[in-house]
Amino acid sequence: MRKFFILVSVFGFMLLLSQCRKPEPFDEAQYDERMSGGTQTSFDGTARAFTHEFEGLGEYDSYLHAVGDAGFEAGFLTAPATRNSGLGPAFNNVSCVSCHHGDGIGVPTAGESQSSLLMRISFPGVDEHGGAMPVPGYGTQIQDKAIFGKLPEAKVNINYTYQQHSFADGETYELRVPTYTLTELDTQINGNYMLSPRLAPPVFGLGLLESIPEEQIVALADVNDANHDGISGKPNYVWNPYKGRKEIGRFGLKLNTASILVQVAAAFNNDIGITSYVFKHETSQDQPHQSDGYADDPEISDSILNAVSFYMQTLQVPARRNVTDPQVIHGKQIFKDAKCASCHNTNFTTAVNMAFPALSNQRIHPYTDMLLHDMGQGLADNRPDFDADGNEWRTTPLWGVGLFEAVNYPAYYLHDGRARTLIEAIMWHGGEAQQSKEYVEDLSKEDRDALIKFLRSL
Amino acid sequence: MVSGCKKKSDDSSPTSEVTEQQVLDDFTNVLVNPNYADLQAKANALNQAIVVLSGTTTNTNLYAAQVAWRAVRVPWEQSEGFLFGPVEDFNYDPSTDSWPVNTVELDSLLASTNPLTEADIELLQDALKGYHPIEYLLFGVGGTRDASELGARELQYIVSLSANLDSVVNHLKNDWTSPPVNYANELRTAGHGSTRFTTRKDAFRTIVDAMEHICNEVANAKMQDPLIEHDSEKVESQYAHNATIDFTNNIVGLQNVYFCRYAGHTGNSLHDLVSAKNASLDNAIQAQIEVAIASLQNLDVNYGLAIFTQQGQIITSQQQINLLHDNLDLLKQFVEQYIND
Repeated sequence: MRKFFILVSVFGFMLLLSQCRKPEPFDEAQYDERMSGGTQTSFDGTARAFTHEFEGLGEYDSYLHAVGDAGFEAGFLTAPATRNSGLGPAFNNVSCVSCHHGDGIGVPTAGESQSSLLMRISFPGVDEHGGAMPVPGYGTQIQDKAIFGKLPEAKVNINYTYQQHSFADGETYELRVPTYTLTELDTQINGNYMLSPRLAPPVFGLGLLESIPEEQIVALADVNDANHDGISGKPNYVWNPYKGRKEIGRFGLKLNTASILVQVAAAFNNDIGITSYVFKHETSQDQPHQSDGYADDPEISDSILNAVSFYMQTLQVPARRNVTDPQVIHGKQIFKDAKCASCHNTNFTTAVNMAFPALSNQRIHPYTDMLLHDMGQGLADNRPDFDADGNEWRTTPLWGVGLFEAVNYPAYYLHDGRARTLIEAIMWHGGEAQQSKEYVEDLSKEDRDALIKFLRSL
Repeated sequence: MVSGCKKKSDDSSPTSEVTEQQVLDDFTNVLVNPNYADLQAKANALNQAIVVLSGTTTNTNLYAAQVAWRAVRVPWEQSEGFLFGPVEDFNYDPSTDSWPVNTVELDSLLASTNPLTEADIELLQDALKGYHPIEYLLFGVGGTRDASELGARELQYIVSLSANLDSVVNHLKNDWTSPPVNYANELRTAGHGSTRFTTRKDAFRTIVDAMEHICNEVANAKMQDPLIEHDSEKVESQYAHNATIDFTNNIVGLQNVYFCRYAGHTGNSLHDLVSAKNASLDNAIQAQIEVAIASLQNLDVNYGLAIFTQQGQIITSQQQINLLHDNLDLLKQFVEQYIND
């Protein structure tokens, strides 16, 4: 009988314990760090690494993805065309894929058919929503091509000078310093204008970035550097023209766009000259001489715009490679020691989303904190964009960065493609990242190589 | 029975087995370089035929130029069986093979005072360059072009367009064979000094990935887009009614890759590697390539019409090409399992 009581007591106690125990996330070591995009990770390190559709989409969603893919690749044509009509009148390129080659990065040239660098422009001050102040006759972006009979707004000239530097161990490296000028202006600009170059970034994994709960991003912010680590981190709050309200910025190189839909619609509008239900007017509407004379807006149907937006939402992230390679493991430690990970934040968990299980509750490794940081005068565009000041850029997601060469050879890095190698990109860092750059500058050759090998595993 | 069990004596010796290195060597020497050389020769012949047409604009010379246009499409579409490397890196594909043609822009261009020299062509957008604007002018809508419809401006334009095509194709060919790019060398030295392919496996992955890509492109884009949108203006090579031939040559290009063959020459191939280790997979791939090609032959009207009148045959053909894609997934697994670095 006594034994019975003891047994009952023991079981009762265990039951009590098990009831009190809350479920806990796995220990860090239990996760597979290769799965950069959670379950939406693709295992393809070839030139098509960025092109893979989400796993597990239903038949209709898969069809929608394919329609969006076709819209992404469609070359737009001069109106009136029976198909893909409405290019321009002024534009930067004829299709999405003309800049985002292979869903990847672009080429830092301007004015050619495969050019992927565009130039933002604005006057000092802010518009009615706190965004960049448009320049009359130009808006906030230079369209450097035009349909026949119309004029490009300007020619964008890119000139590089070359600086020689050396690491502490004496090995030299070169940085190319761009200067940007406009010539052949279509309309005289009265006043001092600000320019900001933007190279087309890769477009995979965006659905996951859009699904990161805002509170996780804000939790990483440290606007006044309260912890005194020299790194602040600031969210951008931007105008969402579709929703008609301010929201946290998630896309664009200065985080000036709140959602994929707005990003896609803005790119159609500004880059290709295609109007939609989000942006109903041509960017050149205040330039009567640039009108094509057709009352054909919106030029893209709602369903195609939505399909391209869905396509952007549902591209998988490439898996990491060589994660057990000792040199990669060593490089990963250096990445931490150099405090790269203070901004290139490794982990987020996407929000629970019952309506879209493929995006829901995914543990992802984007290597960004989705925040703005002062990157120093060397990289500054000196052109504010909502809450981003002239020195600030978003932390670039580093997932997939090791495959840029495989997908877009030769590869270019940073907001305007000035860096030709990963090490150049690191050595351009300044401002809040100055200490990290100096840390790398002092590394031995062996450690530098390990750091690069780690980055190439992303 | 005994003979059935007996191996070929050659196969029993490890030294006679086809090596991965030989396959990579022959992929470039036997297939890619001759394919692009053929493309360049045919692009040059097209340019010459158009120069002749421009000098003497008769229907006979127009027909000769049309034949030359169809001829250059063969090596080009076959080369899409290996759509990677310089053709992608330097955007030779979009700058020569974009469609639909921007006909409104094209008409404006012809009506303008643009001198239409080769240098002017360089500056045009992709939808005004390459195979399809040439096709549009040589064949006309519905393939009804008469030589008398070609004026001086049209002729000047296609002379320059075909010269530009010839020049782009020449770059493409040279980028495989010559410095600074020398892509053939990058592929051959995969895992052994190549800056592009850190392992041999990477090189094979890229080759098989491109085979899958062209299946996907043919079945799920080139055939699918016009079909689901009921729109013959989305058909590739719509003016020459050459779409089904293009599709077929895409799959033949994939077949060329699998067997490493071009213009009657055959080299060491993926087929050799697979048949040595997995005969049933090899048989399945071979058979499915044949079935996919045969299924395209069932489309016996031009594709722009077939999307309205032969939808069943189109869907069957798409299914067969997608089944081939599934077989290539197994080939991908084979590469992961058997290709040594």
